[in-house]
Amino acid sequence: MRPLDPVTSKQRVAYGFAFFVLFVALWSWATLGGHVSKTFLANPLTMVQEGYDLLARQGFLYDIGMTIWRVVGGFALAAIIAVPLGVLMGAYKPVEAFLEPFVSFARYLPASAFIPLLILWAGIGELQKLLVIFIGSVFQVILMVAVTVGATRRDLVEAAYTLGASDRGIIRRVLLPSSAPEIAEILRLVLGWAWTYVIVAELIGSSSGIGHMITDSQALLNTGQIIFGIIVIGLIGLLSDLLFKAFNAWLFPWRLA
Amino acid sequence: MTTLRIEQVSRTFPARHGNAPTRALEPTDLTIGNNDFVTILGPSGCGKSTLLRIVAGLDRPTSGRVTLDGREVTGPGADRGMVFQSYTLFPWLTVRENIAFGLRERGVAQDERNKIADALIRQVGLSGFENHWPKQLSGGMQQRTAIARALANDPKILLLDEPFGALDNQTRALMQEMLLGIWERDQKTVLFVTHDIEEAIFLGSRVIVMSARPGRIKAEINVDLPHPRSYKIKTTPEFVQLKERLVEEIRTEALKVAEHA
Repeated sequence: MRPLDPVTSKQRVAYGFAFFVLFVALWSWATLGGHVSKTFLANPLTMVQEGYDLLARQGFLYDIGMTIWRVVGGFALAAIIAVPLGVLMGAYKPVEAFLEPFVSFARYLPASAFIPLLILWAGIGELQKLLVIFIGSVFQVILMVAVTVGATRRDLVEAAYTLGASDRGIIRRVLLPSSAPEIAEILRLVLGWAWTYVIVAELIGSSSGIGHMITDSQALLNTGQIIFGIIVIGLIGLLSDLLFKAFNAWLFPWRLA
Repeated sequence: MTTLRIEQVSRTFPARHGNAPTRALEPTDLTIGNNDFVTILGPSGCGKSTLLRIVAGLDRPTSGRVTLDGREVTGPGADRGMVFQSYTLFPWLTVRENIAFGLRERGVAQDERNKIADALIRQVGLSGFENHWPKQLSGGMQQRTAIARALANDPKILLLDEPFGALDNQTRALMQEMLLGIWERDQKTVLFVTHDIEEAIFLGSRVIVMSARPGRIKAEINVDLPHPRSYKIKTTPEFVQLKERLVEEIRTEALKVAEHA
């Protein structure tokens, strides 16, 4: 090993996989070897068994579906509002001066702390779950998009002006395309955060979803189910990340050229 | 007929952080006639780029005015094509789309756009690279595309701000010949800023020498070398004589800058 020396893609996969093996091995050693009480941590085999039971007999697929729909719904809502606002803020400095202080403040309001209020306002239905994710993501996206658009290379903007572009043309044909890959990256990143919010939203006042299953299992001290639920969240997150990345690469081929 | 008039144009950058305001450009007069190829030569910090940016409409003069065919310049526009020193191709557009950018902004139909772009691509020697992205091009090829992009609008005047400054010597010499070839064939009005003495003489019909701190026009020298010019002209006695004269002019200016630094 030398600093910054690259690895081959085969090695990369092998190393990445090796850590998962090591992780499961340690977990098995601790649980199957009797070093940790079954009450606190289920062993891998029990976890798989519980997982199968969840999927086959307790309709866990429905819970997974509900959670995905909430994340995607709340996140899409946030993106639809945040991206245009962020672009406006990045492009027009007065708009930025008007909104930036508030958005910066709102960004630090913890979404999970809004749950009691949101239950009061929107009940414990789907709207409340969507709102938690919305509040958690919208301000982050606005701010990051505004920074990205505002950081558009000035010389590209000037070049476009000398080519006869109008102010609208600058936004449509310079600011937007030059920020688009960054905006897609921002959405990928914040989607990951949205997954945290959805589980928190489902832990309180919910009758379906992965988070709801986890609270239920806690009452029954079924650590196998809890761990299975957490792993499912991780896998879905990983999958959505890969899909997002592939989609971005397909959308912006000029970046990889 | 194109006439660019620069009348008493000056530029002072406002004071910042307690520093005194900077006088980048003293009131300057310059008239550029039809099909003139004028090079502005000066050390860095002499306000030559500032002057060019004011002509382009990217900067406003503190006093004075610029008129193009009698109309005052108040902002950037397609009648003044500009090529920058930095690589300013739009990275998300192919070579052809980059060249057609201005045409598309002005609502020219796709077929017409492609026809104009492809003709320019041939002219600057980029055939076969129409669908490449800027990232896949060398520096010289990127600047060729930038020149073609500025020419696509058929501007009244072409403004170039040290366009070959970042290129290696060999590429730079080829680019100079290419640009001069376009000018000799199509007769364009050109204002070209550089700090390279040889480049200023080789390209220009007139060399404007600027002094530093404050920036102002110090001398104006006609270059009566015959056209078409090839690279071989750079070793003729006439060329060398002009170069010697300009070296002296520039050297005193560079010394002034060094002393004030």
